Amino acid sequence: MSPGPRPPVQARLDQLRGRALPVNHNARTISALAANPGCARRALMDAAGVDKQQVAGHAGFPAPFGQSQFAIARGNAFEAQVKEGGAAQLLTLLREHLGLDVGQAHYHDLNDVGGSESAQVRHHRTRNLLTSASADPSTGTMFDHPLLRLAVGGRHAYLEPDLIALHHRGRFHVVEIKSFAIIDGQADPAKVAAAAIQSAVYVHALRELLGGDPDRVHHETVLVAPRDFSSQPAAATVDVRKQLTVLHRQLERIASVESLLDLYPAGLTFDLDPDPGGRPRRPPGELAAAIGQVSASYAPECLSACELCFLCRDEAAGTTGALGKSVREDLGGVERTGQVLGLARGTLPPSPEREEIAAQLTRGARLRAELLGTGLPGTEFLETGV
Amino acid sequence: MAETIEALERRIDQLRTAVREAALAGDRALASAHRAGLRRAEQAWEDALTAAVAPARETTARETTARETTAPETPRGPAEPTGSLLPLREKVYEALSLLQVAAAPKLIATVHEAFFGATFPTSRVTSLKRDEERSFRAAPFARPYYICAALSADYLAPSRGLLAVSTWPLERRVIGSLSPRVDFLTAAIRVAEAIERIPEPPHAARRLLLRFAASIPGASLPGDSAHPAAVSAAAAAELAVHRDADDRVRAEAAARLRLLPPPEQLFGTMSFREIARDTAGRAGE
Repeated sequence: MSPGPRPPVQARLDQLRGRALPVNHNARTISALAANPGCARRALMDAAGVDKQQVAGHAGFPAPFGQSQFAIARGNAFEAQVKEGGAAQLLTLLREHLGLDVGQAHYHDLNDVGGSESAQVRHHRTRNLLTSASADPSTGTMFDHPLLRLAVGGRHAYLEPDLIALHHRGRFHVVEIKSFAIIDGQADPAKVAAAAIQSAVYVHALRELLGGDPDRVHHETVLVAPRDFSSQPAAATVDVRKQLTVLHRQLERIASVESLLDLYPAGLTFDLDPDPGGRPRRPPGELAAAIGQVSASYAPECLSACELCFLCRDEAAGTTGALGKSVREDLGGVERTGQVLGLARGTLPPSPEREEIAAQLTRGARLRAELLGTGLPGTEFLETGV
Repeated sequence: MAETIEALERRIDQLRTAVREAALAGDRALASAHRAGLRRAEQAWEDALTAAVAPARETTARETTARETTAPETPRGPAEPTGSLLPLREKVYEALSLLQVAAAPKLIATVHEAFFGATFPTSRVTSLKRDEERSFRAAPFARPYYICAALSADYLAPSRGLLAVSTWPLERRVIGSLSPRVDFLTAAIRVAEAIERIPEPPHAARRLLLRFAASIPGASLPGDSAHPAAVSAAAAAELAVHRDADDRVRAEAAARLRLLPPPEQLFGTMSFREIARDTAGRAGE
């Protein structure tokens, strides 16, 4: 367990959060954190445990956030199916993919411990079972819904992987069960990326639990999802080394949030000024201005990962980043779409460092004009873009 | 049979009218007397129905229990409509007696549909276990068998979602870490044997066998088909690998379970469930 931020830092984080209770992290919030490492706004709010949903709502950009009921029901049904009969379907897949011995068919259900569903009890039991199985792999193979724990910003977050599998050579694999389909060996890249980062969070937490030894937990996780258009499961291994690196960096950043805090004025707060009934009284404009002081890094992916997404999208309108990370990278150094169009039309004289991109843009615009038989991009784009 | 089922149905109708009239007239004594008569008539109707159903079945539930489940019950043809008239607990009992291992409500329902031709919503099975426990605590061992919990070998607490039959040996009702796999393989063998006994196995039964075969190495034939004998053989081969280790854990747990009072032997240790209830209660506050 890493120690939390030092007291003066904690005091400033408490001030940022205001009078609201801190929101605890879970696998989704931690993976969202690692999915957009460049976002200072999210890093700061998460470090302080700010209830982003409430803040976004009060600032005038409520996000209809959370998974759809149908998606949850479908996910649960698929997971129940592969875990039926001592996880019979999963075992078949794991035998194929990890090359388990026939004798390795142990199944430990950690959804409850002797009828108790308390997080502390379950975590304790998970710790005991996993450490003893790590020493002697003949006592456990599949651990259903173990409860891991990770210290984030001085607070504990409980994490619940779908399954952890132990190979007879003593290495653990994180298994993630998802209900999106793998069609012809291909799945939606965005969903796979989300699953990979979530698995990486589990790998990290599991390594912490086993004493930080990276050799005990494999960086290759197993993704189980329906095959093609059937309900039959298919498995694929996902290498999460890259995600682990990002996650490490992001967790360290939260731990050393001090340097980030130094960038902002001491009086900054996201407090909602609640009345005794809990209704926020702070003027929304003032709150929005406070949020605006901390820079965000909006990308369309945020829409599926962050409660502040609508606010940041509104703020990012007209920037190249709002069109996606790849557009921003292609137009490296040019911040706004208006400037891009200006460079393409030649109406904006390029500064020396933009000469190369300006040449590319003019060529692209000329090609487009030749193909479509029209003039250069019109002013109508420019008006909306600036 | 004292009265025919039809006569009983007429009498139940008459008694219902009488109860209504007495209640509306405000005569409580008469209404409660008629109610008692109505209950007796309804019980007689249930008994008559059971008696009418019994000859169609090879044995009654009571006799099956007396045989102590040494051999699984021979499944009947799929199309017999009588199956659907049995109370839920008897349906669950039929399916569990065929499987001979603790099973989850979903498998129980699938097995019953495949071999006894009637299905039921699995959601009702959850309340069944509670009813059985209440009934047992009110009058212990009054029934020939109870649908009870399978217990986890470590804490002797109810294993999530698994049901068993009270007359089974304790070793079969405790679940160690290898037991889910052992029980899965045993169930596959039972299903394969049951299919072999039927001249023309129904489609649902063959589909069930196929599902078992898909998760046992060497059990399925090319072209996604399964032969009962091949499934049995493959399951038995894997079973031989796990059997000894599983038996040891189960025997040890059963020895501990024998020290507990009867209600806890059937429905799990109280202490843990009380802790769980306490925790749930506090969380709800």
